[in-house]
Amino acid sequence: MNLAAEAFSHVDYLVTVALFLIGAWILLTSGNLVKKVIGLNIMETSVFAFIVTTGMIDDGAPPLLAAGVEGPFASPLPHALVLTGIVVAVSVTSLALVLILRVKAELGSVELDEIASAGEQPGAAAPPDSRGHAND
Amino acid sequence: MTVELFDLRPLLAVLISLACAGAVFAVRENPRWRAIWSLSAAGVKFALVWSMLPGALDGKIHAFGFGEVLPGVAFGFRVDALGLFFALVSSTLWVITTVYALAYMRNSHSLSRFFGYFALCISTTVGIAFAENLFTLFVFYELLTVCTYPLIMHNEDMAARRAGRKYLLYTLSGGALIMAGMVMVYTEAGTLSLAEGGILDASAGHASLLTIFVLLIAGFGVKAALMPLHGWLPAAMVAPTPVSALLHAVAVVKAGVFGILRVIYEVFGADLLRDLGYADWLAMLAGTVIIIASINALRQTHIKARLAWSTISQLSYIVLAACLLVPLGALASIIHIANQAFSKITMFFVAGVIERATGKTRVDELAGVGRQLPWTMTAFTVASMSFIGVPLTAGFVTKWYLSLGALQAGSEVFVGVMVISGLLNAAYWLPMIYQAFFRPLPANRPDAVSVSPMMVGPVLICAAYVILLGAGASAPAMPFSVAEAAARFAIQLGVWPQ
Amino acid sequence: MTEWPHWLPILAVLPLVGGALTPLLFHRRPVAAWFWAVSVAAATTLVAMTLLLKLIASGGLSYAVGGWLPQYGIELRFDEIGAFALPASLLVLLSLSFSRHYVARAVDSGRISFYYALILINLGGLNGFLITGDLFNLFVFMEIFSVSAYALVATAREPVAALAALKYLFLGALSSLLVLFSVGVVFAMTGTLNIEDAAADLDLSTPMPAALALAGLATGFAVKAALFPVHFWLPDAHAAAPAPVSAILSALVVKAGVVGLLRTLELFAGGEGLLQPMLNSIVWLGALGALGGALMALVQRDIKLMLAYSTVANIGYILIGLGLSTASATTGAMIHVVNHAVIKVLLFLAAGAFIHRTGLRCIDDLRGLARRMPFTAFAMGVGLVSLSGVPPMAGFVGKWQIAVGALQAGRPILVAVLVIAGLLVLAFSVRVTNAMYFRPPSRISAAAATEAPVSMLFPLLVLTAGCFGLGMAGQVMLRFVAPAVPGLYGGIP
Repeated sequence: MNLAAEAFSHVDYLVTVALFLIGAWILLTSGNLVKKVIGLNIMETSVFAFIVTTGMIDDGAPPLLAAGVEGPFASPLPHALVLTGIVVAVSVTSLALVLILRVKAELGSVELDEIASAGEQPGAAAPPDSRGHAND
Repeated sequence: MTVELFDLRPLLAVLISLACAGAVFAVRENPRWRAIWSLSAAGVKFALVWSMLPGALDGKIHAFGFGEVLPGVAFGFRVDALGLFFALVSSTLWVITTVYALAYMRNSHSLSRFFGYFALCISTTVGIAFAENLFTLFVFYELLTVCTYPLIMHNEDMAARRAGRKYLLYTLSGGALIMAGMVMVYTEAGTLSLAEGGILDASAGHASLLTIFVLLIAGFGVKAALMPLHGWLPAAMVAPTPVSALLHAVAVVKAGVFGILRVIYEVFGADLLRDLGYADWLAMLAGTVIIIASINALRQTHIKARLAWSTISQLSYIVLAACLLVPLGALASIIHIANQAFSKITMFFVAGVIERATGKTRVDELAGVGRQLPWTMTAFTVASMSFIGVPLTAGFVTKWYLSLGALQAGSEVFVGVMVISGLLNAAYWLPMIYQAFFRPLPANRPDAVSVSPMMVGPVLICAAYVILLGAGASAPAMPFSVAEAAARFAIQLGVWPQ
Repeated sequence: MTEWPHWLPILAVLPLVGGALTPLLFHRRPVAAWFWAVSVAAATTLVAMTLLLKLIASGGLSYAVGGWLPQYGIELRFDEIGAFALPASLLVLLSLSFSRHYVARAVDSGRISFYYALILINLGGLNGFLITGDLFNLFVFMEIFSVSAYALVATAREPVAALAALKYLFLGALSSLLVLFSVGVVFAMTGTLNIEDAAADLDLSTPMPAALALAGLATGFAVKAALFPVHFWLPDAHAAAPAPVSAILSALVVKAGVVGLLRTLELFAGGEGLLQPMLNSIVWLGALGALGGALMALVQRDIKLMLAYSTVANIGYILIGLGLSTASATTGAMIHVVNHAVIKVLLFLAAGAFIHRTGLRCIDDLRGLARRMPFTAFAMGVGLVSLSGVPPMAGFVGKWQIAVGALQAGRPILVAVLVIAGLLVLAFSVRVTNAMYFRPPSRISAAAATEAPVSMLFPLLVLTAGCFGLGMAGQVMLRFVAPAVPGLYGGIP
């Protein structure tokens, strides 16, 4: 009984962990590169939600200085962290997408199994290597 | 009584050949400068090492340290009598072998690589001789492996590659065993110093002590060709004769037995080993190797192969003598380092001369060679007399003291081993001599190509030395006195039967 | 000059700003970009040197960013672990020096200024990571060097580079998020992000949230450090990248993962119940990585893949040392971080010189190159001998210390692991040396090669000297890092 109540009181944390695991699953097992990026984004979002939640106070006010708003305030520090984190996430996502574009242009597909089988055929999408056994 | 003197000479002795190697690599394909550098460096090193002899006979110790490179582990040189003896033998033979090699290798390829690494090998050998502690010894030991490899690979053909691979497999594994043993010694004793006549004591416990003994003896035993770790030696005979002569009669194999001597006398100490009883097992192994290797030598038809197996047998004399843990045994083992070196190198030089002069490399092709190469074959006869143990040759001295040592230690069986070994040696050397001198030259044998005096000279010098060592054994300032000093130092007992 | 208080943030800011300016100022001007990058890296090295001297003279430094004191402000501190910034900056400087001719062939000309920018940004991120005392700041700098690393892998021309970069990105981002998640947990538990304060405030009596945070941090950094079995991103990424980038990745970025683990240990110091199982698993995974990495390296035909797997093996050694938690082993591991970095940069740059002159990467194709490129071959030989741990070269110091530590901790089997792994490394070293020195050339480009240009040879020779020097200077370095050890395990001797 106690355990269930404990768990339910932290349901927001449990949800973020669940989202994290779902995102990780997608990232690791999906065969499509774009879907992997989506999984990554889900993971990132879950972590941000987790961090913001740590600063929340039950019945707390948003951390804004304005007339008529009074404490207790939710902690603004996690918000700062998450803003930084979102910037990082955006840069990672954009780099990933640019790389996917290049993979599509050079290897012909964004599906991992298609890329793998294309690489095994002679005269495949990968340009012939004139630099020794560079692609062994 | 032992005074430690700070002296630059041990360091210089090592560096001389290092500098020589650099110079030889730098002059590339200029044979004259290559010869000049090699010979002058050999001469200077010879002079440096011999200059430390009077001090060592007086009991002084020349040392040069670099300080600690790892906690509790220093890097430095310390010339005690045993180390000086080894260095004397090596530097003397290096001069002689350089002369020989310059003539033998005249028409070969990659000569700057050859002579450069030749010099580096001697540098590392002297480093091993002068090492102050197990770490310094290990450093130079591994460097010796690295520097001998290009010499074995010199011919760059399939056989050389196979031999080189086998060599590295054995010696690098041996090095790994030494490293493991070294770590254990450091943990148990807190130091790796070779200065104290036994840094381990019984408090380490039987299991640890036995493991350390096995690891270190096996590790050094690879280069000492202690069966069953000897496999690389016969294979390495594909290398050019000067390489076989110097490395496999003098530098590499002697470094192995030197390491074993250091382990027995300086890491464990005679007293501890006597209590533990491990040396008895090793002595029995050595005795077995002496016999088995000699039997194998009988079965060889290639001259150099027979010499290789004979080397394996002779090296175990040194190990056996050391395991007796008595002063006479120590004396015999140390003096045999020199005796075996000079005798064996004579034989290798002869094999090279025969090959260059007549193109023959097999034992059964020697008929009449004595007539074609009288001086060379006489030298060969002298050397084989030494191995058989004929009085007035160096080998007799060893056998005499080894037998006395066996009696002193109460292991009379080893006297029997000496006798049997002498008979076996006779069995495989005498037929060669008989064929050479007492069989007529086959009719279709071409005339012998004349061989440079630079090759015959070393043969005669070494053979003369064999007789000198045998006859002049008690003369002062002969290496024998240094061997005495070393033995005394090793066992720290004072009574000498003389 | 050394009294100027702002040296510490400059260590990270200088390369970051310098890197950011590079594409602006030097786009499509590769030589000018090279010159700029080398200057910035040299300046950073000097700053690191100044800080190190200050550390030796007067102990650790601390700096509050923007004047905001810790608890709400970010604190930077320079301790023995932060001193890694000096070898890091120096190695980046040497890799940049090497890059001048290398990138002309290996990277598209339009990307060259970005290449230099990314390397400088990577250095800035690494330095920042080393000197920060704040958990979230740690994450930010980690992302800076990680993202620049992903992009650097992709600067290579080969199509496989983009895919390798993506693979690296996915696993790297996953590990970063694990770290961020754990930082969040620690923040939730202690209310502070400052590492020292959090370590003091952390309530380790209740295992649950603390264990989660520890697991997250340890796993995240373990992936970054390429610990077995999560090392599989490393070989493709390091092999596909241009040689100087592979050098920086194998030598520095991977070590940042190790430093992250060190910081984690600092954070959880005192929690023996939590730490012990983690340290034990690190030891065994490290042992598996050492043997597995060495075995995999042995069977490779491409020299860069071989070197990449040997990085996995050496990380294994380092983590064995860390996990053993004896003073000898830990100091040995920390020294091996530096020594291996020097050796690995040497090896990758030498391999890069071969690739640059001949276009060949297969070990069998390197036959006979010692005659045409003697200095490069010599450098490669010295690097391989050092990698195998043959004394008196650099690789021996760490191995020896870790072996001694293993015996002191009562685990002799790890000595056997170290020795066997060393033999395996020797085996592939012999293969490469044999090919270079004792075989006739099998490819026309190998037979016609000329020695590498001076801008490539200079770093190679400096690093070769470094391998010898570091081997002999082991005692000095060990004494230097010794004060950092007690703080790591909370008093476990």
